[in-house]
Amino acid sequence: MEGNNEKIRERSLIPVLLSHHYMIIKNNPEEIQTYLVDAANYKGFCEEVVFPESENDIINIVKEANKTGKKITVAGNGTGLTGARVPEGGIVIATDKLNSIINIDCDNQKALVQPAVLLADFQSELKEKELFYPPDPTETNCFIGATIATNASGARTFKYGPTRNFVNKLNVILPTGEILSIERGKNFAEDNKLTLLTGTGSEIIVNVPKYKMPGTKHSAGYYVNPRMDAIDLFIGAEGTLGIITEVELKVLPLPQNVFSSVIFFSNEDDALSFISAVRNKSKDNPESIIDASALEYFDERALKFLIDDFPNIPAEAKAAVWLENEFEKKDEEILYNKWIELIEKFNGDIDNAWFAFDNVERKSFQDFRHAVSWKVSEYLVKNNLKKVGTDTAVPHEKFKEFYYSCKDLVENAGIDYIAYGHFGDSHLHLNMLPKSENEYSAAKELYADICRLSVSLGGTISAEHGIGKLKREYLLEMYGEKYIIEMAKVKKMLDPNSIMNIGNIFSEEYLK
Amino acid sequence: MKIAVCVSHVPDTATKVNVGAEGKSIDPNGVTYVVNPYDEFAIEEALKTKEKIGDGEVVAISVGPDANKETIRKALAMGVDSGVLLKDDQFRDSASVAKALAEEIKALGAELVFFGKQAVDYDNSVVGQMTAEYLGYNCISVVVDFKLDDRKVTCEREIEGGKEIVSTTLPVVITTQKGLNDPRYASLKGIMAAKRKTIEEKQPAAAENKVEIIKMKKPASKQPGKVLGSDATVVPELVRLLREEAKVI
Ligand SMILES: Cc1cc2nc3c(=O)[nH]c(=O)nc-3n(C[C@H](O)[C@H](O)[C@H](O)COP(=O)(O)OP(=O)(O)OC[C@H]3O[C@@H](n4cnc5c(N)ncnc54)[C@H](O)[C@@H]3O)c2cc1C
Repeated sequence: MEGNNEKIRERSLIPVLLSHHYMIIKNNPEEIQTYLVDAANYKGFCEEVVFPESENDIINIVKEANKTGKKITVAGNGTGLTGARVPEGGIVIATDKLNSIINIDCDNQKALVQPAVLLADFQSELKEKELFYPPDPTETNCFIGATIATNASGARTFKYGPTRNFVNKLNVILPTGEILSIERGKNFAEDNKLTLLTGTGSEIIVNVPKYKMPGTKHSAGYYVNPRMDAIDLFIGAEGTLGIITEVELKVLPLPQNVFSSVIFFSNEDDALSFISAVRNKSKDNPESIIDASALEYFDERALKFLIDDFPNIPAEAKAAVWLENEFEKKDEEILYNKWIELIEKFNGDIDNAWFAFDNVERKSFQDFRHAVSWKVSEYLVKNNLKKVGTDTAVPHEKFKEFYYSCKDLVENAGIDYIAYGHFGDSHLHLNMLPKSENEYSAAKELYADICRLSVSLGGTISAEHGIGKLKREYLLEMYGEKYIIEMAKVKKMLDPNSIMNIGNIFSEEYLK
Repeated sequence: MKIAVCVSHVPDTATKVNVGAEGKSIDPNGVTYVVNPYDEFAIEEALKTKEKIGDGEVVAISVGPDANKETIRKALAMGVDSGVLLKDDQFRDSASVAKALAEEIKALGAELVFFGKQAVDYDNSVVGQMTAEYLGYNCISVVVDFKLDDRKVTCEREIEGGKEIVSTTLPVVITTQKGLNDPRYASLKGIMAAKRKTIEEKQPAAAENKVEIIKMKKPASKQPGKVLGSDATVVPELVRLLREEAKVI
């Protein structure tokens, strides 16, 4: 076995790796298969996958790659939906070995972790200490580092905001191999200029692009604003500006009482109005006892997908809303009454609604939400279909209009679909399920139309999944070429040899 | 008609359990307790039967410490009319639990009694049958389909490799198996009402344990795995280890 590994090393395109005999390098096609795709089933290719075990290993690899001009793609756990971690040549740096929770500081409510800690493991580790980390992308089998690279969101983003809000400090290995340590609140842009000071003392000045981001939930392209905190540039940058190697996260005390319910409606309009009412009561309304932390929607077709696994879904239901509300024990009775009142006001089916009696049932409702995402994936794989799924969010007051327009578009085209999403944030996942190549092309057209509609209403083309390699053209359309060029300039400042995560957010041609 | 449903409060199979300091019981610290999953089918069938008949009363009964009230409350939230806790902090074996339940069922005058087919804590699968014996009731176990027509009861029950259709008459004890029904979630009004209802506490009938727990211990923890390599060259070594060390081939 030794001999065989040696052989791999001889063929390795990065000679520096020869001096790191312990570092695993794989290039056997079968073994690296999983690093060449992501959950969107977007496929790529590479020469080899390396598994660094420390920040120093990463620095060495990146420096060497700069010398040879070898491209680098950073891999998390492969659950991304945009092809962002999929290489198109060069080498893959798999972060898998950097997977320890370094410290959980209960008193100061913070945790220090390496990037490949699984979100699910982190959450359960915190739970034992009566702590909690709100970001909860539906798929918890992802790496913390990657959730920062994509600024992941989840159901609880409705109350707590995206991952960004919980990142205190980052160590980033820049595409030049220099290390950058940034702490929130310490370094702000002035006049659209950010000055970054690396570990070796060199100064990098970045011109902050001047586009205005939509006011909705949004995760597409670099985060910018004229007085922005430097740390925010690296959150949601999809690995194009550096490799995250250590993170300090903010954590909160574990909520002790959570009201959790799935409510069924006999028409969509009531369900959508109910969501608006809950949103209004929950947001910027400190007096209201109704304070949802999650507010999610399922259309009739989504419910049909789930009925085999959840036979308690009433057969006649046309829509459902899953919600959670953290509360103080003393308010329990009033809270329950308020919810009953609100559900009845919007004709929710109170008799058939599900209410979690305990945390075990509460977890089963979360599984219900997760099931809709993976059921779609399972259906696609089984029927050998490709999905075309939106990730748009629009201003709240435009949401109903947007939602119905999207449904009309898809229904008129006769394409099968299911709709669900984080409707508390006016964020729609409309998944088209085309059954033929022709339908697939039509669905792609509709996808573009829906993105345009979202942008025209003041929304975004991606509220949480990011751009990766699959959605660049829509970002280009959203911001226009001028601003894509400004983004590419940011990357050029930090990645002068254009080697890291090339092809994410904008195409390589903008780096020439 | 009075319908009794007997429920137990058991550790959630997803939580890690430890043996208590005296080495004879489960240490309840850090363990999440839930309604025994098979008892949820029993509760659902009792409620469905009451709804079908159009009148009647469903009473949930549990033997054990105060903590069992949580499980009774869940039954109340699902729609059960009232609950009785036969309070006992001491360990009771299956026969002594059955004895206590039989006395209470007799006092209630319930002629139809539902149990889960087993409790997932000790997995003895006998309390339902023993209770029927103490009461002198008929008993059908591991039921996946239940029909009541006046006093006639017809059930389908699972047997090794197939199903069996059995009929009998009231009074009867039924033990329920997965597949019988889809237990409902508690309704919000049910949860609120359940919080207000008082759960009657009673002294259980005295009974001697026939079984004594001498010692409880956890299974030996698994040996850590060994990675030999990732390609075909390691197969001979793997075969050698499987033969000589693990002794499985
Ligand atoms: C069923 C399902 C449901 C989902 N639901 C949600 C959801 O609700 N919300 C949501 O936001 N997302 C969701 N996603 C998408 C996905 O889970 C997230 O994007 C997640 O953050 C990706 O994590 P990963 O470890 O799998 O990363 P990967 O897919 O491996 O990588 C994602 C990106 O992060 C970069 N990256 C990884 N590690 C680092 C690092 N250390 N430094 C710099 N860059 C790095 C990669 O290069 C790539 O650009 C869902 C996916 C699935 C399959």
